[in-house]
Formats: sequence, C-alpha cells, structure tokens
Amino acid sequence: MNDWLIFSSNAFITAFALYCASFIAYAIAVAGKRWSNREPAAHTARWGRIAFITALLGWAAHLTFFFTRWIGGGHIPTSNMYEFMTFLAMAIMFAFIVVYLIYRNTLLGAFTLPLVIIIIAYASVFPSQVQPLIPALNYVWLKIHVTTAALGEAFFAVGFAAALIQLIRVVDLTTTDKAGVRARRWTEFCLVIIIIIIGFLAAVFIFRGAGYHAEFRQESVLIDQQGQAQTSVKEVKYGLPPIVKPYNSDVISMQPFMGLQQPLFEAPSWMNGVNAGRKLNTVIWSVISGLVLYGLMRLIARKPLVAVIHPHLTDIDPDDLEEISYRAIAIGFPIFTLGALIFAMIWAEIAWSRFWGWDPKEVWALVTFLFYSVYLHLRLSRGWQGTRSAWLAVIGFLVVMFTLIGVNLVIAGLHSYAGV
Amino acid sequence: MIENSKCECGHQNPVGTVLCESCGKPLFEDSQNDADTPLEMRYDGVARRSQKEDPAIIDRIWSFFSSVKIAIILIFLTLVGASLGTIFVQESTLINLKTTEEFADYYEETYGTAGLIYHALGLSRTYESWWFVGLLVMIGTSLVICSLDRVLPLYRALSKQQIRKHLQFITRQQVVYTGRIEQEPEAWVAAAAQQLKRKRYRVWQEGSALLAEKNRFSRWGPYINHIGLIVFLLAVLARGIPGWHMDQYVSLYEGEREPIPGTNYYVQSDKFNLQLYKDEELADNQKGTNVVKLYETKAKLFECIDVCDDPTKEPVLRQVQQHAIHVNSPLQYKGLKLYQNSYRQHIRLISVHPSLMDTATGKSFGSFDLMMDNPKLTYDVGPYKIRLSDYYPDFGFDDQKRPMTKSREPNNPAFIFRVSGPGITGEEVYSYFPLPNASSKDFQESLNAAFKEAGANTGRFTFKVANMFQQGKMEGVKYSEFSTFLNVRVDRAMPYIWVGAAISMIGLIMGFYWQHRRIWLRIDDGMLSLGAHTNKNSYGLRADVASTLGKTGITVTPKELDNRRNVR
Repeated sequence: MNDWLIFSSNAFITAFALYCASFIAYAIAVAGKRWSNREPAAHTARWGRIAFITALLGWAAHLTFFFTRWIGGGHIPTSNMYEFMTFLAMAIMFAFIVVYLIYRNTLLGAFTLPLVIIIIAYASVFPSQVQPLIPALNYVWLKIHVTTAALGEAFFAVGFAAALIQLIRVVDLTTTDKAGVRARRWTEFCLVIIIIIIGFLAAVFIFRGAGYHAEFRQESVLIDQQGQAQTSVKEVKYGLPPIVKPYNSDVISMQPFMGLQQPLFEAPSWMNGVNAGRKLNTVIWSVISGLVLYGLMRLIARKPLVAVIHPHLTDIDPDDLEEISYRAIAIGFPIFTLGALIFAMIWAEIAWSRFWGWDPKEVWALVTFLFYSVYLHLRLSRGWQGTRSAWLAVIGFLVVMFTLIGVNLVIAGLHSYAGV
Repeated sequence: MIENSKCECGHQNPVGTVLCESCGKPLFEDSQNDADTPLEMRYDGVARRSQKEDPAIIDRIWSFFSSVKIAIILIFLTLVGASLGTIFVQESTLINLKTTEEFADYYEETYGTAGLIYHALGLSRTYESWWFVGLLVMIGTSLVICSLDRVLPLYRALSKQQIRKHLQFITRQQVVYTGRIEQEPEAWVAAAAQQLKRKRYRVWQEGSALLAEKNRFSRWGPYINHIGLIVFLLAVLARGIPGWHMDQYVSLYEGEREPIPGTNYYVQSDKFNLQLYKDEELADNQKGTNVVKLYETKAKLFECIDVCDDPTKEPVLRQVQQHAIHVNSPLQYKGLKLYQNSYRQHIRLISVHPSLMDTATGKSFGSFDLMMDNPKLTYDVGPYKIRLSDYYPDFGFDDQKRPMTKSREPNNPAFIFRVSGPGITGEEVYSYFPLPNASSKDFQESLNAAFKEAGANTGRFTFKVANMFQQGKMEGVKYSEFSTFLNVRVDRAMPYIWVGAAISMIGLIMGFYWQHRRIWLRIDDGMLSLGAHTNKNSYGLRADVASTLGKTGITVTPKELDNRRNVR
C-alpha cells in the first residue's frame, strides 16, 4: 500500500468520526431543546450550526479520502462495492448540503447523518483494498456514469430522509382509529427495518473484531449447456456463526459460539445462488441482532420509537417537510435520468454494443425511473400529497437501494463485478 | 352533464373549465368543498381538449389516453412487468438453447417448479412479450395524447392572461396576503412592481392591479420531455425497418479473414492480445487468480470491390479500416461497428513448414509451406513432386473404421501425400500428421507402416518439421492461440435515440430547475389582496413575496403567507 492510500484511509476514518460527531450534535440540537435554562430556538440554532460545520469538515475529509485514493489507486474509486458505497455516502452528504442551504432545516441533518453513517459502515463490510480495473470498467465513462447516477440517487436519499421525518411528524399517538393505528405501526416498522440494518452491521463488525470464522465444503451439481451433470466442490467461508449451513455441505472447521457446536439448519435446496447459504445465515443474524437491539431500545424507552422521536419534531410543519422531500426528489430526478439511464446507455452502446439489453441492473434503473415518474405524476393528483407521497418517497428509496445492492447480491448479471 | 359555463365577468368558457379563463373566478362552488381551501391550479383551470360535451367513440379513446390516472397505471404496470423479468434469467441470455422444450427443461432444472411456472407464463421472454411491448406502445400513445390534450389549452391560457383577477381567485391561492395600504394605491403598486422587476419578474400593471410573472418557459419542460420520450420510443420502433438494425457474431482465429454476412465487408483478425494483471498489481483477495487487464483484436476491415458474388473466384478486396478492437473501443466504418465480445483460448494450427526427409540419413531434400485451410494440391520439393491426395482436417474413424474427418476445423489434421520423382517408380504414398503430439506421431507411423505393407511406399521418405523446438520456441509451425468473438452491429436509429434522449433531458432540466411563479395583486378601497402561485417550490415564492412586501413597507414572514397553513 502506498503513502497516498495510507493517507486516504486515515482521511476516511476521520470523516467517519466527524460524521458521528455531527450526528451527536444534531441529536443534541433536536432533542435538547427542552433542557433546563435554555431558549429552544437559540439552542437549536447553536447546536445546528455546530453540527452542520462538523458535517462540512467530515465531508472535506471524505473528499480528501476520495481524491487521495484516486491518486494512490490510479483510477477513480467507484469500481467496486466498497468504493461505490463510500462514494454514495459522499454524494448524499453533498445532496444534504445543497438541500440544507436551501431550506436551513436542522432536522434534515439529524436524519441524513445517520443514513450516511449506516451507508459508510455498510461499505466497510466489503474488502477495501484497491483492485485493478477489469477491461470493461477501464474507460472514461466510469467516471461520468457512476458519479452522476450516484448523485441522483443521493438526492433521492435526502428526499427519503425528509419523508421519514414527515411520517413520524404526522403520526397521531393518541388516535385509536384504524387508519391512525395502521400509520403508526407502519412508521414504527420502517424504524425496525433501519434497526435491523444496524443489527446486521453490529453483528458483522463484532464477529469480525473477534476473529470468528467457520468453513464449509459445499458440493453442488450443475447441469451444463450440453445437459451433462457437473459436480463442483466449493469452500464457503462464514464470518458469522453458522445457524444455517450451505445446502449439501460438510463442516471443515467451526469455532463454537455460545454452545453452538454445529449448524442448526441446512439451507433449502432451492436457494442455489452464489453463496446463498451464507447470505441466508447473514439475514438471520441481522434479524436476530436487530430485534435484540430494538427490544433493548423499547425496554429503555418503554414506548414505541415513533413516540420517542415524535415529540421532538413538533415545531416543523409537515407541509414544509413534504416540500423538502419533493424538492430533493425533483432535483435528483433529472440527474438520475442523465446518469443512470442516458449516460448508462451511451456507455453500454460503446462497451457492450447495444444501448439497452434488459440486463437486471438496467431494468432496475428503469424501474427506479418509472417509480419516481409515478411519484411525480401522482403528486399532480388531489389526495396524493402529504402522507401518501411521503410513503412513496420511502418506497422509492427502497427501490433505489435494491437497484444498488439487491441486484448485485441477489440477481447479478452484467454488473456482477460490482458485487465484491 | 350540461353546465352553464358562462362566468359572471361575461366570458364564455368551454365545458370542463374549472377557473374562468378570463377573470379566474372558480366556476364550481360545490366541487370546491369550502371557500377557504386553496384553488386547484392545474393547467390554470382551463378545460382540456378531451373534456367534451358529447363524446364520440374516438373522443372516448382520446379521453382514456388523456387521463394522467391511466398514464400512472400504465407506468406502474410497466414497472411491475419489467421487474418480474429480472427474477430469473431471460431466454435471450441463453444463446446455446433454441427450442421451447430446451428452455422449459433449462428453467425447470435450474430453478425447479418456480422456473417451470416462470417459463410457462412467458416471463422468461418478458421484454419481447406482446403485453410488455403493448404497455410500452400504450405509454407512447398516452404521452402523445396527454401532452396534446393539455399543452394547447395551457398555452392559450398563459398567452392571454388578465391582469385584474377575481378576488376569490386571488385570495384562494397557495400564497396569499391581505392588508391595508396607507399610501396612494397606484404609487404603491408601482413601487412593488419596481421590486418585482429587480427579482427578474415580468410585470404588467393595470391601475391598482398587477400581474408579475417569471420563468413561464419552465411550464413547457414536461411537454418537451414527453416529446423527447416519444422520439426515443419511435426510434426504438424504427429499428424494425429493414437494413436499420443488424446484430450478428463473427468468430475469428488469429490470421483468419471472414466475410460479414449480409454485407460486402470482410473482417480479419491479425492478432489477438491478452494481458493479465501481475500478482503485485492485484488486491490481497485476488492474488493467485487470473484477472484480465486487456483483451483486444488487431482487426482489419476490407470492402469487396470486385468479383464479390462468384464463389469460384477469389474476391478483390480493399482494406478500408484498421483498429485494435477492445471492450470500450469498437471498430467503426460507415455505420458498421465491430465490438469485442469475448474470446476463447484455443490452439488452432494455421500452417506448418515440413521438410521431406530421407528416413535413413535424416537428410532434408527441401521444405514447403503447408496451409491447414485450402492447402495447395501440388508442391515441388528439391527434385521431387508432391501431390496432396487426401486431407482430413479433423482426423478420425467412422463406424466401419474408415478414416474420416469429424469437422472442418484442423483439430487433428492428417495429410495423405503422393511423392514422385527420381528413383521412384510411379508414386509413393505417405501420411503426415503435423500436430506435435504423441498420438499424432503414432497415427503417422502406423499408417505409413500399413501403406508400406500394402506396397504403396518403400519407407524411404518422412515428412517432418525439422528442428521444431529451438530455444523453447516452436519453429516452422504457425498457430493461433485465441479465437476472438466479434459482435457486428448496424444501428441506424442510434442518432434519433440520442436526439430523443437529449430533448427529454432538456425538458426535464427546464421543468425541474426553474419554477413558473406568478403574483397577482389588486387594491380595492385601500385593501391590498395578493395571491401567488407556483407549480413547484412555493418556499421560494413565499420568500419572493415576503421580501417584496418588506421593501414596500409591509413586514411579514414567509410562513405567514402560506395559505395552506392558515386553513389548519
């Protein structure tokens, strides 16, 4: 590793620490309004400014990370999952800064910063070493297509953050009618999903820190194109204790964990994708650790998380939040169209000889585009503004994340190199 | 439903008008719940083209496609359909399979029952299916009709706007202000106009009434975007025009030249070049694996200029283009593009340079070039004449143990030569297997022994490449190490596709990065009524109004102007 890359990874850690500090400052700005001897507006303004400046410093460190890694690695760091996710986090920060400068809303920071922190932590799950470019990526369009697509998605992420605040803001904690209870439950469910993702990250990093590993020998039978059965034996490595072992596999080595000597189950045979068993195991661990985490939070708070956050959001109007969310998406939509569809088509035409080939990644970029088109058109109709469009913005971001991560992990296709 | 659409201002509005085209007074009180809610300002409340009193069948179709609700449903169905197509691989990616049964078997074997159902439902061909293409065509239709239905009335409404609007129209906008003005009304309006002009509004004043407008062009953004999408979709359809679209594959070994079917071009691969990353260039988790750095085909493109259609004669070719084709860098010539698709590592003999030798002494009488494709039939070597009597490029035996060739590829070439010359009565028959491996050598020796037993030769001669291995290199043998697969494409619709995409992009930027803002105000008996509207970013509009009022002596925060909030 050369000096640039060492410097770069230090800048990355600095950025991460500053983002965490900024998040804490935002939390104080939002949650500390009613602390004793305080003028709420002045308190929020003061801590909001501290938080925003810290976030700006973090972003500067993040930029430093990006450009020094570019110099040290010899190519733009957007070529694998680690690099892309860190870039996405940087783009979300940029989108946040732009939207913040328009609307000056402290709450937006309090919700965007944790999103950025989660994405950076998720990036760190993947190997962070610089990998040389494969021929298909070695082209000027890697710089243009990936960055613009990510920037468009970053604005969608900010739109998602604002929509989530809006949903928690409009939740009625006292109502007992069906629609109100349903809205409350679904909003709480959104938070549970986010905590499960945090649970996933916690599980991965705790077991990685403890040096846990298990290994399996998996035998798989593939029917090749001539109709011949080909048996192949693969070794599958686990970083989390195996609750589920890969289908048709034997243990090579396994450290016992809390009385877990043997895997409890075997993955079903129809899960035959790449490393399906390990992915299933990871999902199970994420849900377990996420639910434990959520349970602890409930124990401490003794009420739903929505009810914990809601009281801090009362001094902003849902209409303002909806406008921020809509504006962020409206800024992101043309950028996304340009980067993820038009630039993608131009590059595909040069590299793969066709501008469109219904590759899963292409299809999902189109699905994202169509989904946000639906969002933009629905907002023209009466009755689709407000909470409903906030839900659309939340679902839209799920579609974005599936396009970015889900397609690579579950479906693969031509963009499969971006998987690891 | 027949309504009296004449407004109290005397203007006769078309059926379906929500707000009077002239003064802006809301025409249906009953549909507006209560008089305090902000007005529905879509398309300025004008009637759309499709809103007719007495619809005929064509009007009904028109009105079906003109509905935004229908458009949203179409987009949503397309979205769901497209994502269903990504559950399992599409048939188009399985290039080795042909028949429906093969595909059905593949899906069942690979994905089980779910795969079988997927294939049976036709989802394995989602993007070519009638329903998916149908959805796209319907979206195209909807784009055209929705746009036409709205853009013309909207254009009319925006190009002849009345300055003094109905009071109800003003006070029911999303941004409103009412208050007393102490100054002389016209002077105040003139001062406000001055402020608005500074903010780059276009301002019209009519006594104590004023209209200020900014960025009207952004209203055309969505329609320009839709025009771009229509051009794009039409360009995609245009690929069906004969000769506009070509997509085929050519496989070439190094040195091979092949005609491109359907054209009078020939393509030749001079050399295939594969580079791998060195171990020290790789990341830790890649070390020890082969990671390709570059693969390219040094290619030449020829055009046939004479004797192109006579299979018995060699065509006359002229080189027109030369390019090292690699991923991201196709060869291009007059709309024809050759792309690097993939490659196969595969040793293929091109030619050998054997010598005719004396078996006993190992002395060479001379040597000759022997091509694996279309070998010459006679050779002069020293004093001898060699005639090629049989050639098996891919030597093997058939059911009755007779020699045959399994294919036309020189995988295991075998030559049968007849040698004549000084000291030979008639001709002697020898076999020659040029591949440098043990089984070829065995074949050659046993066949020659068989010929000798049958009296066809004396065993005097041997065919062999002299000193084949020198300093670790093969001499006297030319071979290709890689076969390259090139994708040959013609796509005459591409320019239109890019034009469509560019128009669409311009429309998106116009529509999303500028907002049409309008401010109406009038002073009646010293009472100022101000209303303002924008289709996007009412936050910015409120800031504009608040600062204008502030500079003319009325202090108000942007928040107080928000009519939606006042309702609650």
